[in-house]
Amino acid sequence: MKEIKDPKKLQKKILKTTYLIALLPIISAIAAGDMESLLGFVFGLVVATLLLRLKYNNIIRALNMDMESAEKFIRNRYFAEYGLYFLVLFTAARNPSLNFLAAAVGLFMIKFTVLLLSVKDLLKDTFQSQFDRYK
Amino acid sequence: MVEFSPEVIETIIRASALLGAGFAMIAGIGPGIGQGYAAGKAVESVARDPEARGNIITTMLLGQAVAESTGIYSLVIAIVLIFTI
Repeated sequence: MKEIKDPKKLQKKILKTTYLIALLPIISAIAAGDMESLLGFVFGLVVATLLLRLKYNNIIRALNMDMESAEKFIRNRYFAEYGLYFLVLFTAARNPSLNFLAAAVGLFMIKFTVLLLSVKDLLKDTFQSQFDRYK
Repeated sequence: MVEFSPEVIETIIRASALLGAGFAMIAGIGPGIGQGYAAGKAVESVARDPEARGNIITTMLLGQAVAESTGIYSLVIAIVLIFTI
């Protein structure tokens, strides 16, 4: 993942991997007939995708500002996004047709994917350096 | 020994849960400050080396996406405390 320098390509790769990983819980929920979990998970995942795109747009805007304005701008945007996260979780908690924990997992899917890809890169680098040492 | 009625005990538990939710929300402040600081430094880096802009954006996007996880964990805990207890 670290060899990708283009932010749009990186975003695409993260979203593609996230959706691939998300297929597993989605298919499991359909097979189990648990519609609340399915709806909650998809709800969380869709909002997480939109918030990632919003974050990218915010970063692009912040980089055209001066240092102090960028700092203030990103901080304020974080709290606005936090409010959106709260609304999503509040809706999932109050609505009986959405599973709260599934919505929370859906929100975290992108973050889990980023961590997973980073760990994969780290392991690849470690094994490559070990391999080069013994070659 | 003082004996409390079930209503009083329930009220104490509810109040403690709400207090815990409030304390959990404190964790939401940290990532905001950290992200703002990182954004400021990113602007400084782009000004110093404009060719590294793409690299800085990708690093910042990944960093910010993961950094806000802790804030959302606290939000989830707070909502669980508010709505389930």
